[in-house]
Amino acid sequence: MSSDKVPHASAPAAAPTPGAPTAEADAPAEAAPADAELAQHLQPIHEAPRSFLRRYVFSTDHKVIAKQFLWTGLLFLLFGGVLAMMIRWQWAYPGAKVPLIGDLVLKKSGGVINPAAYNAVFTMHGLIMIFFAVTPLLIGAFGNLTIPLMVGARDMAFPRLNMLSFWTFALAMTLIVVSFFVQLGSAAAGWTTYPPLATKVGTPGHGQTIVVAAIFFAGVATIMGALNYVVTVIRFRAPGMTYMRMPLTVWGLWLTSILNILFVPVLGAAALLLLLDRVAGTQFFIAGAASVRGGGDPILFQHLFWIFGHPEVYILILPAWGFVGDFVAFFARKPAYWYRGSVWALIAITALSAIVYGHHMFTTGMNPMLGKAFMTLTLIISMPAELLFLNWLHTIWKGSVRLPSPMLFTLGVIWVFAIGGLTGIYLATISTDLYLHDTMFVVGHFHFTMAAATFLAIFAAIYFWFPKMFGRMLNEPLGKMHFWLSLVFITLLFLGQMGVGYAGQPRRLWDPHQYELWKHLQPLNRWTSFFAFGLFVAQLPFVLNFFASLFGRVRAGHNPWRVGTLEWTVPSPPPYHNFDVIPTVVRGPHELGNPDVLRRLGRDWIGQTEALPAEAPTAPAAQAQGTT
Amino acid sequence: VTWGLPHDASLYGWRVDWLMNTTSVFVIIMFVVTAIWILWACVFHGPKHRAHYDLGNAPKAVTKALILSGLIFFVVDGNLWIHGLADIDDVFWNFARADAAPNAVRIQVNAHQWAWDARYAGPDGKFNTRDDIVTLNDIRVPVNTPVVVQLGATDVLHSFSLPNFRVKMDAVPGMITRLWFQAKETGAFEIACAQHCGVNHYKMRGRLTVLPEPAYADWAREASELGARQYDPADTGAHWGWDWEKGNR
Repeated sequence: MSSDKVPHASAPAAAPTPGAPTAEADAPAEAAPADAELAQHLQPIHEAPRSFLRRYVFSTDHKVIAKQFLWTGLLFLLFGGVLAMMIRWQWAYPGAKVPLIGDLVLKKSGGVINPAAYNAVFTMHGLIMIFFAVTPLLIGAFGNLTIPLMVGARDMAFPRLNMLSFWTFALAMTLIVVSFFVQLGSAAAGWTTYPPLATKVGTPGHGQTIVVAAIFFAGVATIMGALNYVVTVIRFRAPGMTYMRMPLTVWGLWLTSILNILFVPVLGAAALLLLLDRVAGTQFFIAGAASVRGGGDPILFQHLFWIFGHPEVYILILPAWGFVGDFVAFFARKPAYWYRGSVWALIAITALSAIVYGHHMFTTGMNPMLGKAFMTLTLIISMPAELLFLNWLHTIWKGSVRLPSPMLFTLGVIWVFAIGGLTGIYLATISTDLYLHDTMFVVGHFHFTMAAATFLAIFAAIYFWFPKMFGRMLNEPLGKMHFWLSLVFITLLFLGQMGVGYAGQPRRLWDPHQYELWKHLQPLNRWTSFFAFGLFVAQLPFVLNFFASLFGRVRAGHNPWRVGTLEWTVPSPPPYHNFDVIPTVVRGPHELGNPDVLRRLGRDWIGQTEALPAEAPTAPAAQAQGTT
Repeated sequence: VTWGLPHDASLYGWRVDWLMNTTSVFVIIMFVVTAIWILWACVFHGPKHRAHYDLGNAPKAVTKALILSGLIFFVVDGNLWIHGLADIDDVFWNFARADAAPNAVRIQVNAHQWAWDARYAGPDGKFNTRDDIVTLNDIRVPVNTPVVVQLGATDVLHSFSLPNFRVKMDAVPGMITRLWFQAKETGAFEIACAQHCGVNHYKMRGRLTVLPEPAYADWAREASELGARQYDPADTGAHWGWDWEKGNR
């Protein structure tokens, strides 16, 4: 890139020293010019690699890695989506031949989803969606894209580790694909992989082993990425970018990464022990007839799994909440309402998420005292969540709300999360959970929160940052069509799941209608399937839009949304080194609709690096930024 | 209004239904308010509306937000918390109280792929003896009597679910778990497996029959006699019962 015009290109090309005061937590609110000087020295500009392989394949550039996660994540979203359609087909027409793809993918059973195939389908739907679609999209793609750009860094703290994270993840994805081609098929013990069913006692095929290994490697990749995010946010914030000036997006992704570092290792341990049970003859989780001398403890696995698993649902939703917090402010042209309150609510939820996991195990015969403690803690988590929610609603209230696609999807997240969040409290309470546990009500609840909310948040983020990633605008009419169809179908689809769950229908049944209790639900299940098919087809406008815009001519400027965060001060797409000069931040991320700014600058927003003309010019280098 | 809940045949199921119904009322109100709020903002505070510059961090605004979320929390979650705790303390997890009832019926259920084995102690009150009643996928209980079930499992996890009685408990290999219920009416009901347990999980279905007390006594006597006739001391595999575990744990 054109490094000649950059003042510090000749600085020694040393890697930033850990512990160097690039951006101390207690940096003064108005960064001294010396800090800005130092930041330039500590993050010198490296020349962009020229070879194809180093540029696009084994790239250490966070923006390229973000795109790698985006492409693979979208591909696996489609994969998981097709599996979902197969589940819904089975529930709409139990035992009937699958149209279109049946002959292709279910040769052995003559195009029919038999019970064994069905178990693999729903198991892999869950695992793929959680670990290989939502995780890479929300965290891999948008974490990588936004964190360095939004905190004002040239790249991640450990670019090579970042590259290794993606390629470890690619190994995990390969294993997932391979598992479908081995004898007895892919994993079939449910996404929760409870032993003894997940040991050779219940699933003797190699598919289950390969998939557990894939989860392990996905975990390794996640930990590497999370370490990078955490260190980048702590050490690489630009001068003046205090914690309380960080965009909520960065807050969400940062807290998610902290949870990932703390709890994915626990999943790794559980996966490793399970692998040993499968291949090395140990009996950590095997008890009953297959055990020797009493064996191990199947419930131990559930503890390990949910110590990770409950934080995991927040790992997936915190980035989405971060996006929502920023986007409602950006598109209501108002500052985020009580920013600090939202930040502390996010922190409280993060902390609480670690100590509520027991509500997943209310029916395992746990000590009543333990159950009551987990019930109480789980209910408490709704308090900060309500605060966060109220802050979003207050942000759009009395705003000047614009409704381009990213904002529509953001409001969609609030809409589905309202349903998902509110229905969670039935499951937090032991007595109601004893009835609802393991029913489709649970499935509906976590699909509203973990699936619908993250799905819509992913699209909000794609519509919002696509211009920055690819330098092109997405088409608005197609985006709006995509939104309205998706919102209607996704709401009806998961309400349908909840409805049959309220009637007690258990999840994971190949054919629920052979029970007298749930025979009458066949029409509702069928309708729900139609909504699912509708949701699948509703993604067509997006696919069209995505590719047409990618190669289209509608170029995005630096700042198409007219907002003040740092990523919009650089060209779209940004150069290899992101910032010609490391910016100096002088204000928070949502300075929108300020009458003072309107009077002096004639616009309703001001960049994080911009000083108002009358303000003391603390950061001369920053003034040129952001106004383009 | 049942909102699609299955018929409640248990003495205490109303507690669950009541808590779900009251919560649903709160939830629907909150959702409707949220939806109206969003729509109102989009329609009346649109691009033509001038954004009201408000950081929301004034003491008054903060107090308002805290009071509002606190109010929702204490009313909605508080209702669930108080009644949820009372429900499990008084009824659903108070196994000791049910077990202490003089007429309590005790059943051991062993779950395995893909059926429910049930065992009653018979006249001697001891499990794993000659006079035990042993059934497959067929559990019979008397009406208006506390029924305590202790659960075990042979192979993988299962979950003993009685939707009509609003109770459910996992069956775990290597461990005894328990649940109890009391039927308030006679009839035939279904036992469902609620925990994924393999290929035929979907048809791991049992039958629970609630009989009038005299009919139950007749059946129990006959079944015990039949059990004694078929008893084979050498068939150790058939003696899967265990000593009844007293108390809550």
